[in-house]
Amino acid sequence: MTAVTDPRTTADPTPAKSRSRFWSKFLANPAAILGGVLVLFFVTVAALAPILPIFDPTATDWLAVRKAPSAEHPFGTDEIGRDVLSRMIWGAQASLLAGVVSVAIAVLLGVPLGVLAGYARGWTDAAISRVTEALLAAPFLILAIALAAFLGPSLTNAMIAIGLSAMPIFIRLARAQTMAVMTEDYVESARAIGLGHIALIGRYILPNIFPPILVQSTLTIATAIIAEASLSFLGLGQQPPAPSWGSMLNIAKNFLEQAPWMALYPGIAIFLVVLGFNLLGDGLRDALDPRDH
Amino acid sequence: MNATPPLLSVQDLSIRMGGTKTNLVDGLSFDVGIGETVCIVGESGCGKSLTALALMGLLRTPPLHLNGGTALFDGEDLFRLPETQRRQIRGGRMAMIFQEPMSSLNPALRIGEQIAESVRRHQGASREAARTRALEMLERVRIPAAEKRLDEFPHQLSGGMRQRAMIAMAMANDPSVLIADEPTTALDVTIQAQILDLMRALQSETGAALILITHDLGVVAEMADKVVVMYAGRVVEAGPAASVFHDPQHPYTIGLMSSMPSLGARSEKLVTIPGVVPSPLAMPEGCRFQSRCPFAEPGCAMRPVFTEIAPDHGVACLRAPLEGTLDPGLRETGT
Repeated sequence: MTAVTDPRTTADPTPAKSRSRFWSKFLANPAAILGGVLVLFFVTVAALAPILPIFDPTATDWLAVRKAPSAEHPFGTDEIGRDVLSRMIWGAQASLLAGVVSVAIAVLLGVPLGVLAGYARGWTDAAISRVTEALLAAPFLILAIALAAFLGPSLTNAMIAIGLSAMPIFIRLARAQTMAVMTEDYVESARAIGLGHIALIGRYILPNIFPPILVQSTLTIATAIIAEASLSFLGLGQQPPAPSWGSMLNIAKNFLEQAPWMALYPGIAIFLVVLGFNLLGDGLRDALDPRDH
Repeated sequence: MNATPPLLSVQDLSIRMGGTKTNLVDGLSFDVGIGETVCIVGESGCGKSLTALALMGLLRTPPLHLNGGTALFDGEDLFRLPETQRRQIRGGRMAMIFQEPMSSLNPALRIGEQIAESVRRHQGASREAARTRALEMLERVRIPAAEKRLDEFPHQLSGGMRQRAMIAMAMANDPSVLIADEPTTALDVTIQAQILDLMRALQSETGAALILITHDLGVVAEMADKVVVMYAGRVVEAGPAASVFHDPQHPYTIGLMSSMPSLGARSEKLVTIPGVVPSPLAMPEGCRFQSRCPFAEPGCAMRPVFTEIAPDHGVACLRAPLEGTLDPGLRETGT
């Protein structure tokens, strides 16, 4: 009865399921699909690395040093005869792991701090915000390099360093989103049914700030992958002989003229996976944008 | 009403914005009896909603803060209770529904969960019991296919249905006072009437008192037992609905009544009250209506005393009680 007489119902084209609306918008965006496919491809390849019929990424072959791409070594070999394709595939693991783990660190530390700042306001907010601003004053990569150098070179430390450097972005985002959600009528009505802080944050604030956090996470994974490659390039990330795209590029720069394939493929891989995450993030942002619902 | 003590008695409630010298709500007093409907009427910005929020303990402090007053509810002063106890009362014995049904429900929670949330919070009910109660409430507010709606998200419901869901949520714990802040303003006219009917029906079933905040005199005429007319943060006139409607005494009340549009042919232009509500930063001394009042005189620079001119019917105007009707006079100056 009310559904028929209320004009709002007719104004809303699909009052049915928001999830299917999300998917239909996401799938209507070719760039987002391309991004999703790229990310899925690299994730699959990285996950399948142990069972793929490829060379041992650390096995050297002194009879095949810096060989150009051939049937046996489709991407060629490096300066000590290791198969570049195999190292790329295993390197994908390091890159994706670094991207995901460091963003997880950034989200798990940054979001609670940001929500706390936005919810509590006052001096709590002031303290958290000032520290965040101080961290943001240093360029992301410089901060990551400094932290990684301080923690010591290893992939784990590189991930921690990148995670800590990316954390301020999430603090800021979560704080701003929390403040925005706090002004919503439904938070007022939640307070009017007598809910306490924990229920308010857990059931009203977190679910409603989730979409922008998700989008930011996807985009930050791309940045984190570049950061990991940069740290590995500088010798602060993945340690030899374990493969990583960044450290492969680092070695390859010495042989650019004699063996360009050593640099070409890791470079393309970094480019594609970063492109993939960026397109995916943009697609998610468009599909999750409530203004178009 | 004087025989039994009122359920909720508000005395001298004042609300102020930090850093300003004027009270946004200034010395507001009214009583609500068991099962009674009290309508607070006034223009936008007159302090109606602030009053509601203050009673619920939801004032945003800072910048707003209470600047005196008591609110006796079941013998306890709400304004002096610690926050934990107020939270027990909020949504339990006192509930509130808001103006905007479109935005007052959490878009991330299913309707059933939101109602159940309040039930579990206040009755300590189990998940299943709370869900059963939520379903029962949705049926009581006459939401069609309630079972199905329980698992839907707010955006799947129309405005009218969302307001019903809000009412279900507010009434789920059988409150003894329900505060409704412009509950029908955002709805279209046919739905408005349904929602008002529903509120009246629920009220007679449960015996809850209702504080209805509105600027719509049509709603007041339909619902009110008592009327409190507010202007610029002060009560200008208060009394039994019949008495206020038939014998309005304050020039502002009279102005409001005559600027009420009605159906049918009209020969005259719609009457308006000239001028605007004074800014809280530049509130005149004395009567706050004097700048717009057609009968203002030098004496209005003193704050008028709230005087009873009939049983329970009081007016804050120098000229009250009025002799004869002033309506035609106002109409002349008003057009």
